[in-house]
Amino acid sequence: MRIGDLMDKDLTSITENTTLKEAIEILSQHNLTGLPVVDELGALVGFISEKDIIQASLPGYCDYLVGAAFIPDFDQLSEKLRKKGQEPVGKYMTREVIYFSEDDSDLHVALSLIQKGLKMAPVVGKDGVFIGIVSRAHLIEHIMCEEKEN
Amino acid sequence: MIVTVTLNPAVDEEFVVPEFRPGGWFRSRNAIRTPGGKGINVSMMLSQLGYESAAMGFLAGFNGAYIRDVLRRERITTNFVHVKGETRTNVYIIDETGHVETGLSEPGPYVSEEAYDRFLRNYQRMLQRTRLLVLGGSLPPGVPQDIYGELIRMAKEHNIPTIVDAAGLPLQSALEAGPTIAKIDHRFMSRVSGISLTSLDNIIKVVSKLHDQGVEWAITSYHVYGDVFFTPKGIYLALADRRSVVSLFATADALITGLIVGAEEGMDVEDRIRFAMACAWEDAMHVEKGFSSRDAIEALMPRVQLERFD
Repeated sequence: MRIGDLMDKDLTSITENTTLKEAIEILSQHNLTGLPVVDELGALVGFISEKDIIQASLPGYCDYLVGAAFIPDFDQLSEKLRKKGQEPVGKYMTREVIYFSEDDSDLHVALSLIQKGLKMAPVVGKDGVFIGIVSRAHLIEHIMCEEKEN
Repeated sequence: MIVTVTLNPAVDEEFVVPEFRPGGWFRSRNAIRTPGGKGINVSMMLSQLGYESAAMGFLAGFNGAYIRDVLRRERITTNFVHVKGETRTNVYIIDETGHVETGLSEPGPYVSEEAYDRFLRNYQRMLQRTRLLVLGGSLPPGVPQDIYGELIRMAKEHNIPTIVDAAGLPLQSALEAGPTIAKIDHRFMSRVSGISLTSLDNIIKVVSKLHDQGVEWAITSYHVYGDVFFTPKGIYLALADRRSVVSLFATADALITGLIVGAEEGMDVEDRIRFAMACAWEDAMHVEKGFSSRDAIEALMPRVQLERFD
């Protein structure tokens, strides 16, 4: 099946000029772990995850962290996050984004997500415009439903 | 892409209660819960007829999550700004016996300045890939009353045709910006013009002036089961058969859906009106919002009474 037929067609995204504070708010309000970054025409230019934001605030620690439980001092993190809050997303986002085309197969996407250890990835149309999100949860749901239908 | 804007969505709860009257305690024999708000209704109905669209606006809380989830399952593209609070619930009580409908509506969640700015940025970006824009419904607290005029002006800069269905000041601001199609609330027009719009002559006199403001199509309801269409090819009165009507809930959204599909499929003016009226009529023949099938709509088309005024 084409990934374009089963992706989540939600266009929640931000631009490079969006502040980290706003990005955090959107992640929280939409219950997301990452956000596609697009230009004024809607073309995908980057991706920012929760991890990128933590890394921006605690660059020295991030490589050693497995989960938030290992953060030594939350006061330190919150103070640094407040300071970084007004900085633009473009400074910390990943520019080499792993993304999929709407015509990619579900199998190809599933394998890529597993191999690259990704929870979610953006999907773009033929013109490079961001058109949806595919997540591991989506794919598992799709495989499960397909099994039931068969 | 067709884009629908619903600034104040709702979860619509329809209860069927025979012989409903205020002051009593009733058990509903049927309750239907669906995502609502004019733009969202149009997106859902377009999807039923095989047309893709994107829905945008504001969502909040559990009701917002429910709406997002249903739209996702219907494969409708979404681009909503989430705000604090709770998306409203609208309750409709339908008494099939007495042919009476009762509605109860909430104001909706407060939209902060930041959320409003975020919506405008999303909107500006969406316009890059929009070929038709549908705006409709009430406004939540915090959103300026002249927003529809502003959104239409922004769309016109990109040469995007616009359809608006609103009332009160938001409709007035929309009309000043000159939308392509406007569904006019006749009670509001009556208040603005100071003329009673119960007679056809008065409706024609008042609504005809909208053409001067750049409105290509204006539609206003006439005696509940009819609509007057002001089109570039003339003025038409279209009537449905009132005997088969069960609920008028969301019929205006069905009518707009029909006008969009008619345009997408290149129908001439008269067929487009017939199709739009048949959509509204079919929607009115059952309690559930939307259409039984495309065939059911097409079967009603020849039964729409259409009269042209020269």
